[in-house]
Amino acid sequence: MTGQRIPVREGLLSQALDDLSGVTLIGSRCRNCGETALGASTLCQNCGGDELAVIPLAKEGTLWTYTVVRHKPPGDYRGPDPFVPYGLGLVELPEGIRVLSPLSCDVETLAIGQKLVFKPTILAGDKGDELVSFEFVPAEQREAPHER
Amino acid sequence: MSDDVVIIGTGIHPFGRFEKSYEDIGADAARAALKDAGVEWRQIQTAYLSRMYLPATSGPRVLRRLGGTDIPIMDIEAACASGGAALRQAMLAIKSGEVDLALVLGVEKMPRGFMDPAMIYSPWQIKMGMSLNPSYWSMRARRHMYEYGTTELQLAQVAYKNHKNSVHNPNAMYRREFSLEEIINSPLVCDPIRRLEICAPNDGAAALVLASRRMAERIGGNKPITIAACSHSIARYSADFRCPADSMSSTAANPGPTEVTSGEAYRRAGLGPKDIDCFEVQDTDAFCEIEIYEDIGLCPRGEGGRLVAEGRTEIGGEMPVNMSGGLISKGEPVGASHLGQVYELVSQLRGRSGLRQVEGAKVGLGHVLGAGGNCAVTILKS
Repeated sequence: MTGQRIPVREGLLSQALDDLSGVTLIGSRCRNCGETALGASTLCQNCGGDELAVIPLAKEGTLWTYTVVRHKPPGDYRGPDPFVPYGLGLVELPEGIRVLSPLSCDVETLAIGQKLVFKPTILAGDKGDELVSFEFVPAEQREAPHER
Repeated sequence: MSDDVVIIGTGIHPFGRFEKSYEDIGADAARAALKDAGVEWRQIQTAYLSRMYLPATSGPRVLRRLGGTDIPIMDIEAACASGGAALRQAMLAIKSGEVDLALVLGVEKMPRGFMDPAMIYSPWQIKMGMSLNPSYWSMRARRHMYEYGTTELQLAQVAYKNHKNSVHNPNAMYRREFSLEEIINSPLVCDPIRRLEICAPNDGAAALVLASRRMAERIGGNKPITIAACSHSIARYSADFRCPADSMSSTAANPGPTEVTSGEAYRRAGLGPKDIDCFEVQDTDAFCEIEIYEDIGLCPRGEGGRLVAEGRTEIGGEMPVNMSGGLISKGEPVGASHLGQVYELVSQLRGRSGLRQVEGAKVGLGHVLGAGGNCAVTILKS
């Protein structure tokens, strides 16, 4: 590893990043209203409450909606070069939150309701750093990694 | 009513792409509105300029071209609802009794292509590929199709109708009728939304002269158009999945911003959707228009696709929507878009819309919606 591993966003991922297999997304659950936000936060966006508990978010979810991005996004996009169309969707997790995530799979197979699994990924960082990001992949893809 | 606020003049600079500064584009629209109102610039007591992509103090930079003055001039920004936010501030200034004559000017000059993501998104969202506005619209469309059976053909029918309407609008950018086949075969931008089904950022300006009823009577020019309501709001908690959201609640059940804002506007105007003769709404993409039909009460939830398929929102239909051609064909100069809608509605209520005219139109509604769940709704009465 040439540079450091740093999270793509502070307060998004659960633990030290040297072993990615244990990493999850984290959320903030409001003790007042019970709503859950993505990432570590200090104020609840629903009720303004300031007592929030950091909780790990489940690794398994269900696809609530999706699109296929057919054009390279403008600006500092760190995905594959040359560009490859990719899935993007809202993944519903049991904590009462739907998380926007890139979907790594054959885009023609995407379907609302399909089971997905969280997977940390590495994007190219600056100055040789590794940016730890995330995506969701079809559950069967993870269980049978050699089929594809 | 004595505290009525009315529109006495409108002006527009066509929406498109021009080798011309935003100051010139804006000044053209402002001068046109003043001329239409029969009012001198020096009579105006306060001015608001709506814009999103222009530099600080764009208002004075544009309006000083009309001659030096010491009136308050300020910039207003509320994403795609900027024009509605500015119109509302001007209306409130007159309602307060402080001023009797105000100018509202929306102007924008934007680069071709996708909008600069750094304006809206965090660096991590840009790096991960979550920074394309149409991807958010598309995810809403996909879910609606799943829940209600809305079809890709129905999306194309919205784009078909709006492009067709724009042929008769000299202020629209494209002014070209596309066949349904051309639309449905145009390249996907973000599934299921296609290139001929989304609006493009561009340049343009629109301006209004607002007056108290008392002042309008004293000036005695155009027949005043009454602002029956002008409402602006931000989406309630998790009520609107739209850029730059990174997640949404699956437990909160708040009504969306269009439902809330149009509800408030209807209540203030003492009118309902059945009382409105014509509509101009935010068709940033074809699906968005279908969703808005439902949110402003033109049909029950899930039936928006059928409404367009049955032709009921065409100019000759029972509830015409986007007679001007909508943003899909005009383009979206963000700060000017709502005032462009109001320009069209005033023209409709004055019976001056030529081949786009809705017969006997007396009440019109304009609606915009954008980043952060910013929404504005204006209802006008002749």
